[in-house]
Amino acid sequence: MIMRQWLARPARALTGLWLFAVLAAAWWVTSAGSTSPFFPPLETILRRLYQLWFAGSAKQQLASSLAHFALGYAIAAVAGIGIGALLWSLRRVREATSPFVYFLYVLPTPVLVPAIMTIFGIGFAMKVVIIAFAAVWPTLLNTLDGMNGVDPVKLDSARVLGLSGPAMVRSVVLPAAGPQIVAGLRNSLQVSIILMVVSEIVASTGGIGYFILTAQQNFSFVDMWTGIIVLALIGTVLNLAFVLAEHWVLHWHYGARATEGKR
Amino acid sequence: MRVPAPAAPRLASVTSETLIRNGLAARLAVLLAALGLWQGLSASGLLTPDLFPSMTSTLAALWHELTGAVLWAAVRDTLAAWAAGLLIGGGCAIVIGSLLGLSAFAYRSAIPVIEFFKTIPVIAILPIALLLFGATLKMKFVLVAFGVFWPLAIQVIYGVRSIDPVSLDTAAVLQVRGLRRFLVVVLPSAAPFIATGLRVSAAVALILDVVAELIGGGSGVGLQILTAENSGPTAYPIMYSYILVAGLLGVVLAGGFALAERRVLHWHESQRSQA
Repeated sequence: MIMRQWLARPARALTGLWLFAVLAAAWWVTSAGSTSPFFPPLETILRRLYQLWFAGSAKQQLASSLAHFALGYAIAAVAGIGIGALLWSLRRVREATSPFVYFLYVLPTPVLVPAIMTIFGIGFAMKVVIIAFAAVWPTLLNTLDGMNGVDPVKLDSARVLGLSGPAMVRSVVLPAAGPQIVAGLRNSLQVSIILMVVSEIVASTGGIGYFILTAQQNFSFVDMWTGIIVLALIGTVLNLAFVLAEHWVLHWHYGARATEGKR
Repeated sequence: MRVPAPAAPRLASVTSETLIRNGLAARLAVLLAALGLWQGLSASGLLTPDLFPSMTSTLAALWHELTGAVLWAAVRDTLAAWAAGLLIGGGCAIVIGSLLGLSAFAYRSAIPVIEFFKTIPVIAILPIALLLFGATLKMKFVLVAFGVFWPLAIQVIYGVRSIDPVSLDTAAVLQVRGLRRFLVVVLPSAAPFIATGLRVSAAVALILDVVAELIGGGSGVGLQILTAENSGPTAYPIMYSYILVAGLLGVVLAGGFALAERRVLHWHESQRSQA
């Protein structure tokens, strides 16, 4: 939403950016003469950031992290929508399994990291499993909830018009449940990023979470700060990519809402 | 009146009603079948104790912990950081979000910055919190408060922005100003947005809380799970019983928030259809 406004109205972009500039400048100035080992000058951090992450080899840490994330999140998204849709169509199964699903949804999933480690070891599989297993629930439940919320009249009309099976899902159920499914996918994205880092910090020999933790334990605080900034940028870029994809997929939805919203 | 455009409160809210409806007998049957299957897999040797403990040993461990003092101390430590973080982070978000929401310029300037901070994975802050406070309750609290603040602030700002201008004009005509305007006009209008934000924040807070325990070593349920994992297969039943406890905490807190939301906001149209 915000991105679109920025793009459409360049004048507003200024209002959106001045505070960033002021905050960054404030950080630069206040940290300039800092002798505290915990809070090194921003200039030092940025120089090191360039050395490590652009000129240097720290990029490779990023590649393995993002590979875990991408695979885990993709599995969670497909499984979440698929199982959610399946449970929606099988009412009895849904009712019988709902306590389990709800329990796993509200369970703070990072607590499963030690358990999954004991089963899958500490390799690639463990990280992908952790991310996928934790991130599947928001998508699954929002898919289920969104599909449950489809206007029954629409379903009946579609049935009268002779729609059934995949055609019904494509033309009636998905458009109606779409916005909520996307909201679920967005929650899942956040969970995936968290679990990506947690899994690396708890048990790993690589990845950005591991990088930040070892830097902190070796008292190389400048390196730690560069890792934190890179992680922050990754989070922002992934979310931005999601927002753009969301607008591309749901443009009809926002279009309809925008016309409704005009008073 | 509909609740207007950005971040409509009903979106992404998974209501427990969708899940908890009739069919109690079927559910009990499924639960018993699952427990039986679990025990069967262990007894047949498909699940070995060094991978996954048997159902009876896990439940026995859970019972043993429930009657001991360690579990309750861990639950207390987890809840303390959760509540303090939610209270302080949430309080700041409501006050600052409301102030920012009332001015168009402040709102446009602040939203991108807040959106940016919201997308920073909060675990990135964990090493700094660990440096400053060590593995303490304070470290957990800071992490939770930081994680709660940004998403809730956004909800509050959108809530305040969505106030019907007529209400504000009416308040101006009736000379309702300052704190009274905030309490009587602004807060009630934004309440559904704030409630949604709080419900989401409460879940996020619990996740960050256990992460701070698992990684940062702050005392609580998360640390107990890690300790049990490190003590090897004999302690796995204890690990799984603490995982169950973490899930039950999630159930209680989520249920509590859903209930409170319905009680407090019963007058609002977003809740009326459920009556």
